[in-house]
Amino acid sequence: MDGRAGHGVPPWRVMAGAPLRGWAWRELAYALTMPLMILVGPVYLFVVVLSVLITTSVIGVPLLALVVLGARGLGRVNRALAGALAGAAIPPPPALRSGPGVLDRLAAALGDVTGWRAVLHGVARLPAAALAFAAAAGLWGLGLVLLTCPLWWQNPPFAAGPPWWRDSALAAALATVTPGTWSGALLMSAAGAALLVAAPWGLHLALAPERWAARALLGPTRGALRIRALEQTRTRAVDEAAAELRRIERDLHDGTAARLVTLAMRLGMAQEDLAHAAQTLPDDTRDGYERLERARALVDGAHRDAKDTLTELRELIHGIHPAALDKGLEVALATLAARHPLSVTLEADLPRRPSPAVESIAFFCTAELLANVVKHSGARHAGVEVRERQGLLRLLVRDDGTGGAVMGAGTGLSGLADRIGVVDGRLAVHSPRGGPTVVTVELPMYI
Amino acid sequence: MRIVIAEDAVMLRDGLCLLLTSRGHEVVAAVGDGEALRAAVQEHRPDLAVIDVRMPPSHTDEGLRAAIEIRRTRPELGVLVFSQYIETHYAARLLADGAHGVGYLLKERVADVRDFLTALERIAAGETVLDPQVVTQIMGAGRRAEALEELTPREREVLELMAQGRSNSAIAEALFLSYGSVEKHVTQIFTKLGLPPSDNDHRRVLAVLHYLQA
Repeated sequence: MDGRAGHGVPPWRVMAGAPLRGWAWRELAYALTMPLMILVGPVYLFVVVLSVLITTSVIGVPLLALVVLGARGLGRVNRALAGALAGAAIPPPPALRSGPGVLDRLAAALGDVTGWRAVLHGVARLPAAALAFAAAAGLWGLGLVLLTCPLWWQNPPFAAGPPWWRDSALAAALATVTPGTWSGALLMSAAGAALLVAAPWGLHLALAPERWAARALLGPTRGALRIRALEQTRTRAVDEAAAELRRIERDLHDGTAARLVTLAMRLGMAQEDLAHAAQTLPDDTRDGYERLERARALVDGAHRDAKDTLTELRELIHGIHPAALDKGLEVALATLAARHPLSVTLEADLPRRPSPAVESIAFFCTAELLANVVKHSGARHAGVEVRERQGLLRLLVRDDGTGGAVMGAGTGLSGLADRIGVVDGRLAVHSPRGGPTVVTVELPMYI
Repeated sequence: MRIVIAEDAVMLRDGLCLLLTSRGHEVVAAVGDGEALRAAVQEHRPDLAVIDVRMPPSHTDEGLRAAIEIRRTRPELGVLVFSQYIETHYAARLLADGAHGVGYLLKERVADVRDFLTALERIAAGETVLDPQVVTQIMGAGRRAEALEELTPREREVLELMAQGRSNSAIAEALFLSYGSVEKHVTQIFTKLGLPPSDNDHRRVLAVLHYLQA
């Protein structure tokens, strides 16, 4: 993981070798950034408070939104540092989600939990950051000072300096511990070496609160993790359902339908042969003739049944997965528009293909909405528009009918909304009395 | 007639072979995918090919693509494309190069043996056979059928040549008209048939389908 535990290496070597290992230096570097962070956190909090205070003015609210978004960025930096230097791998928090409008974005930014938690982190970490820096200075710093004792004991650098320093208690304390002999200096140096060997381990321990704070406040919340897991399973479920429908369609098409066609064809051939036999039968076999006629009637009936079943099966298969969808949503919608009883104009602009499940939902929505136009609106003309906008598939179905369509329990429209909701899509109906009706469907391009 | 069959469902393929041979035709090859179909047409030079749209490997429109290609290289070969359901874009693509000796039928039409055999002979003779479903689907249940009546004799002539797969310049040459006036006629035809301005090629095919079904 982070190389602290060596494999097949004696424990004392792992212990003693720590100051030479990368992780030790990275953690030291992390601890050394702490003074900066101790400054940044409260300053940022001050900016937030200032923005809150001026929210009464015009620029206040947008400014606060920007500040929260900025906190998100600050959180990202802290998360990256903690991951790269302090060995705390933290999964990224969920991305900011908002609707397309300016107000949507403003609201999303102001209510951004990730941003607010990053602000909180900047303040809540202060004790942890102070501890980390103190540990680094105390262990590494003191260790180095002691290690180099033989170089400076004869001329202690802290004996010099401005008067306030020379008169301070710390200087006095240092003066008392300064060894007076070479042997004393060497002893101090050995103690310094021991301290340096222990320093990485001590600092690692002292960084635990920092890591904990980063994990608790910069990663995704438990709810966000749950949502992510749910989204993943939903995507799998939706994809699998779409694939399963395609498989069923293929089985019906290649198996059942082909068999039925063959059956109908054989019956057709039998029908012809029987007709031929009836014509060539000698006149004196009246009994045989009657039996032949009965058989013909039976075969005729079976033939008709087979053909009717084929027609039903064809509709059924088409309802499961229209073959035109294989060629993409645009082709499928063009087919739909072409076979519609009203004149339907189609405008499609999809530079990329959405997920199969999204294509399928968009197709069946359009089919249902166009069927509604025929049933309820009294329109003469309908229009379908489909395009990609800001990562969303936007589908518009309008007609020039009498309007008055409402979303309500039990109507086809609320059923559609349910279907669209499965992939976090949205359905909006604008249908004033007297028309015209515009139904807008928004779906994610990919799920 | 010498016939090649391309159909991936073995049972149906065998059934078709039986049907055709029992009615005095010769099935020179029966294959299960587009690649084998191309090879069989190359080798046997049949009079007619009966082709399933959906075949391996992708199970989408291999048959159709093979049919279009075969018609380009061997225009004299009759081609019947059949599929489980009628897709207008299949019809449009199949007829884009003209409608001579082409058929597009629902698979289940095989059940009416005599009609099916008659259709094969018509295609081999260079006629066009389209499934009634094509008409109901593309024409919006025949709602615009009377639109053809509104065409002038000149526009009808232009449409007839369009149906033979001729380009505007070829039509201009054949009718001794300028290119511009042919274009004007074509636009008039589209308008009178109520074909919305969209993809030009698609409209052209739809116009031709109108004509063929009149």
